[in-house]
Amino acid sequence: MQDGRGRIVAWLGREILPHEADVRAWLRRSLAAAGDADDVIQETYCRLANLASIDHIENPRAYFFQAARSVALEQIRRARVVRIETVTQIDALNVELDEPSPERIAGGRRELARVQRLIAALPERCRRIFEMRKIEGLPQREIARRMGVTEHVVENESVRGLRAILAALAEGETNQDAVPRRSSSHDRTRKRR
Amino acid sequence: MIERESAADIEAQAVRWVVRADQGELTLAERTELDAWLTGDPRRQGAHARAEAAWLMLDRAKALGGAPAERSLSERGRMGRRRLLAGLGVAAAACAAIVIAPRLLSARYGTALGEIRRVPLSDGSMAAINTDTVLDVTMRPRLRQVKLDKGEAWFQVAKDPQRPFVVESGPVRVRAVGTAFSVRRREGGCDVLVTEGVVEAWSQDVGGAPRRVGAGERIFVSDEVGPANPAVAPIDITRNLAWREGQIVLDGEAFATAAAEFNRYNARKIVIADDSMADEKLVGWFRTNEPESFARAAASSFGGKVTVRGDVILVEAGE
Repeated sequence: MQDGRGRIVAWLGREILPHEADVRAWLRRSLAAAGDADDVIQETYCRLANLASIDHIENPRAYFFQAARSVALEQIRRARVVRIETVTQIDALNVELDEPSPERIAGGRRELARVQRLIAALPERCRRIFEMRKIEGLPQREIARRMGVTEHVVENESVRGLRAILAALAEGETNQDAVPRRSSSHDRTRKRR
Repeated sequence: MIERESAADIEAQAVRWVVRADQGELTLAERTELDAWLTGDPRRQGAHARAEAAWLMLDRAKALGGAPAERSLSERGRMGRRRLLAGLGVAAAACAAIVIAPRLLSARYGTALGEIRRVPLSDGSMAAINTDTVLDVTMRPRLRQVKLDKGEAWFQVAKDPQRPFVVESGPVRVRAVGTAFSVRRREGGCDVLVTEGVVEAWSQDVGGAPRRVGAGERIFVSDEVGPANPAVAPIDITRNLAWREGQIVLDGEAFATAAAEFNRYNARKIVIADDSMADEKLVGWFRTNEPESFARAAASSFGGKVTVRGDVILVEAGE
């Protein structure tokens, strides 16, 4: 069980996370006000993480889109604001699926470069902690000792760093320089109903 | 209504848990607390899996620092094999084999309850797979073999006279060369609907010639008796295949039949409490994933009432 979960989490990191920015962009375009893309994404990850098997999934990008689509539809249904144009938008998904993602072609080396960029973009102290933890493989306790801070500080910085990385993944860090980012759906603390 | 926890708050918590777990094994108390937190909302489970995935993905960075051994080793391995193949003078053939081999392997496609998938097959054909279905596709040199263990699928078959496309469901066989048709597994046999071209259908358990079924025709092939007479029903067929667009189109179906159709797609089941309503005839257009709005529309059309309790959508007669 634990082993199965480890496999799925690794698969999520390798095959799903790289497409998250695209799925989010699509959700934002199609959902308009009908739902919250952040909620849909979280529920989609829940579904993916609970898959009994991932072996049958040949195209994780397409599967991710489909899963998000079904969560979004479910949410619309629950909210009972079934607006025809929303449903139609969501049904227009097929167009998106066939575009090959640059990530797919790139493979391992690009993935490595991406991880490197993500870590490099962190604020100074965060970055040092992530380098020690993820490149040198030091445990958090040892990092605290070397930096002369408490473990609690390392924990807080790690939380901050990982959230920054998740935000970068959500925004599509590859386009970060090209596209002026705002709309930061991430810091938003929207409450519904 | 209660304030809904924001996605950002959930993410913050989830990340905290992932970092905490990275400090060492969680204590039993922490583990219990985490489990309780996770069960509170599926979004929490999702956020947690997502944070874990990102955290784990960052381990790729190890390749930048220590442990470069793994990489160079595999590279050396590849070089060694390459040289060997070249020495035998079959490098080109081997490359070709590598490209073609996966096409011979079979692929399994499964759909969950309510899920509808379209998948391109490696021969250029297309399959639309309905709810709760398992499909095994094997591409052989002289045969395109598709096993339908349960459920329903529609196939748009790419023309290839050298390689017939055969759907197998129990003893039932449906063979096509280039055409479009659907097969639905039912108790004791299969429904076959043909939208283009011609197929041949038979049951292996019965002797006799295969039955030809043309475009616009439907047929039931019994496991034990073989094919019935085909019926011509082009409009019916289009309606019956509306599931490919996530729709159920009703034209005079009995309420009970229509409810059973919705129940194929949803965990929430429509239950008709009074037999008096079961035979009411219905007309309408619905989405497969909206059993409740269907039940309400149906009930209101003949004065019934609907109560939803857990996974049951109960339809009762009004007074």
